[in-house]
Amino acid sequence: METAPLQGAATTKPWREGTEEPFVRIGRVTKKFGDFTAVNDVSLDIYKGELFCLLGGSGCGKSTLLRMLAGFERPTEGTISIDGQDMGQLAPYDRPTNMMFQSYALFPHMSVEKNIAYGLLRDGMKKPEAMEKVADMLRLVQLEKFAARRPDQLSGGQRQRVALARSLIKRPKLLLLDEPLGALDKKLREETQFELVNIQETLGITFIVVTHDQEEAMTLSTRIGVMDAGEIVQVDEPPAIYEHPASRFVADFIGSVNMFEGHVTDDEPDYIRISSRDLGQDIHVGHGVSCSMGQRLWFAMRPEKMRLTREKPEGVINAFPATVQDVAYMGNLSVYRVKLRGGRVLSATRANLTRHEEDGISWDEEVWVSWGDTAGVVLTQ
Amino acid sequence: MTGVIDRVAPLRWTARGLKWLGLDGRGLVVAVPVLWLLVFFLIPFLVVAKISVSEAAIALPPYLPIFDWDGIVATITLNLGNYGYLFEDPLYLRAYMFSIRVAFVSACIAILVAYPMALFIARSPEPRRSVLLMLVILPFWTSFLLRVYAWQGFLRSNGVINNFLMWTGLIDQPLVMLQTDFAVYLGIVYTYLPFAILPLYANLVRLDGALLEASADLGARPWATFVHVTLPLSLSGVLAGFMLVFVPAIGEFVIPELLGGPDTLMIGRVLWSEFFSNRDWPVASAVAVAMLVVLVVPIMLLRTVQSRSEDG
Repeated sequence: METAPLQGAATTKPWREGTEEPFVRIGRVTKKFGDFTAVNDVSLDIYKGELFCLLGGSGCGKSTLLRMLAGFERPTEGTISIDGQDMGQLAPYDRPTNMMFQSYALFPHMSVEKNIAYGLLRDGMKKPEAMEKVADMLRLVQLEKFAARRPDQLSGGQRQRVALARSLIKRPKLLLLDEPLGALDKKLREETQFELVNIQETLGITFIVVTHDQEEAMTLSTRIGVMDAGEIVQVDEPPAIYEHPASRFVADFIGSVNMFEGHVTDDEPDYIRISSRDLGQDIHVGHGVSCSMGQRLWFAMRPEKMRLTREKPEGVINAFPATVQDVAYMGNLSVYRVKLRGGRVLSATRANLTRHEEDGISWDEEVWVSWGDTAGVVLTQ
Repeated sequence: MTGVIDRVAPLRWTARGLKWLGLDGRGLVVAVPVLWLLVFFLIPFLVVAKISVSEAAIALPPYLPIFDWDGIVATITLNLGNYGYLFEDPLYLRAYMFSIRVAFVSACIAILVAYPMALFIARSPEPRRSVLLMLVILPFWTSFLLRVYAWQGFLRSNGVINNFLMWTGLIDQPLVMLQTDFAVYLGIVYTYLPFAILPLYANLVRLDGALLEASADLGARPWATFVHVTLPLSLSGVLAGFMLVFVPAIGEFVIPELLGGPDTLMIGRVLWSEFFSNRDWPVASAVAVAMLVVLVVPIMLLRTVQSRSEDG
C-alpha cells in the first residue's frame, strides 16, 4: 500500500488560523419534512483532514445533515459544497463521498470480499485490479482470513470493520460515518475508537462522524459540532466544548454538571459575585464576566471540580456545608450525592486514589463542598 | 389459561386424555394441520392411487376391486397397465409436455408482469400500499369462471378488442384470438397474476432500504442497484411466485376449455375426457398420479433452493 502523507489533524488546526479554504462548506442549510424542520439554518465549515463529530440527542437533525451530505436528502434551502464543487442536485452515486451506515447495510448475499469490491466494480474497474485493492484493504482492517465469509457469519466487530473497509475502498474525499461504533459493546468500542483515528490519520481522508455518545465524540474528534433541535449550538475542539460550554444546553449535554441559577450581586473587572437561592452565601467567581448588576445567569459546576472535606477548607471562598446522601462506587471514582442546607442536592466525584479507604467519607456525614474561584463556568444563555 | 382448565372438570379430563395420548399444547397445534392433510389429501390420494392400479370395467363404480377374497384365498390384482398405457399413447406425453410448456411460459410472463407491480406497491407509502394490495386481490371477489367467460367477450371476432381496432381502422379483418394458444396464455397469466404478485411483494417490502442507499452511495446507478442488490435478494420471492403460477397452471382445465382451441391439449382436459367421456377411471387416476409426480419434482427443487437461501 502506498504511504499516504500523515495528515494528522492534531498537528495543524486550520480552523484557528482561518487562512485555509474549508473543504466542506455547509451554507445556511435548512431541511423540512412537511411542517417539521429537521435542520434549521445550519452553516458549517469543515477542513481537509478533519475528524469532525456531529453530536446531539436523537431527533436533533444530525443524521439528516449527514444524509444531505451523502445526497440521500435534498436541502430545502441552502447549499453544500465539497472540495469547491457544489453538490446541488448531484445524486449519491455521483458524489465524492462514501458513507458508513449505522446498521452497516452490508449486502447479505455477498461475501466480505465482494461487499468491499462493490464500489470499485460499479465504477468499472477490472476485477483483478479491484481484488488487489480489496486485499490491501482487508489487511488494513485485519480481516484477511474472513474474505470469503458472508456478513451473517461475522461478529458485530468484524461486520463494523467490513462496513468501514467498504466505505474506504474508493478513497472518498469525504467519509460520512453514522454512529459507527453504536452497535458495539463498550470494550470493543473503546478499542475501535483508536483504530478509527489511526486509519483516518493513515489515509488522510476527511471524516464526519454522527454520534450521540459524547465520550466517543471527545475521543475521536478534532472538533465537535453540538446540535440541538436542528441547529448547531456550538462548534469547538473537545476540551473547549467541555470546559467552556457556550450555553446551558451544551454544559448539560456534555458530561454531567451542577447548575445554579442566580443573579449578579457584585460586578467588578476582576471578579463577580452571584447570589443563588440554592446556596446560603454568594458564589465568588474570580474573573471578570461581561454582565450587568442584577442580571440573571447560570453557574455550571462539574462534579469532578468540587472538593469534599470533613473540615472547612482554609482560604477558600466558595465553601458550603452539606450532608452526604448517597455514595455510588464506580471503580475508578465514586460519585457522592450531597444535600446542601437549602435542600439542593449536588453530585460530586472523587477519584479513588487508594484501594482501601476505610475512613473515606461515607453516608450521612457532615461535609464541606468547596471549589476554586475559577473552577466553574458562568453562562448567560 | 391453565387455571380454567384445572377448574372445569370436562376440560381437565380432556387435557388428561390428550396428555395420555402424548399430546400437549404444542402437539395439538401441529396435530390440526396434520389431521387436515391426512383426511383431505393423503386418504383421497391413496384412493386415487388404488383406482389407478385397478382394471376398468362396465360396472358401478367403473373398475374392478383389487382385493378379492373368496372365503379361503385372498388375491390382490394390481394392474400396472394403466401406467404403461400413458407411455404407449403419444397423446398423454404430448399433453404433459404441452401443459408444462404452457405453465412454464405463463409463469415466466406472470413474473415479468408481477415484478414491477410488486416493486411499485412495496415502494409506495403505507396508506396507498394497502389500497394497491386490495386492488390486486379484488378480482377474487368475482367468480373465476365468470372472469374467464368475460375474456371470451373481449377476444371474440366481434368482441370488444376487435370492434375497437376495426373502429380505429387499424385492422379491417377481425383478429383471431379466441380458441388459440395465445388466449390460453393470456387467461392463465391474467388469472394467476395475484399469486405471483403477493409473494414477490412480501419479499420486496422486507428489503432493507439502507442496502439500496449503500449501493447508490458506492456508485451504483438505479439499474445497477436493481441488478446487483434488489433482484438477487428477491430471488426466493421470484421462485415462490413462479411456482404458485406454474403448479396450478399445469393441471388447469377451465381456461384451455373456455379460451383454447380444440387442439389445445392440456393434461387437465385429457383427464376430464378420460374421466367423464370415456369413463375410464383407472387411466384417469393414473394420469392424475403421474401429474402429481411431475409436480413434486419442481416443488422439491423449490424447497431445496429456499432452504439454501435461508441458511445463507
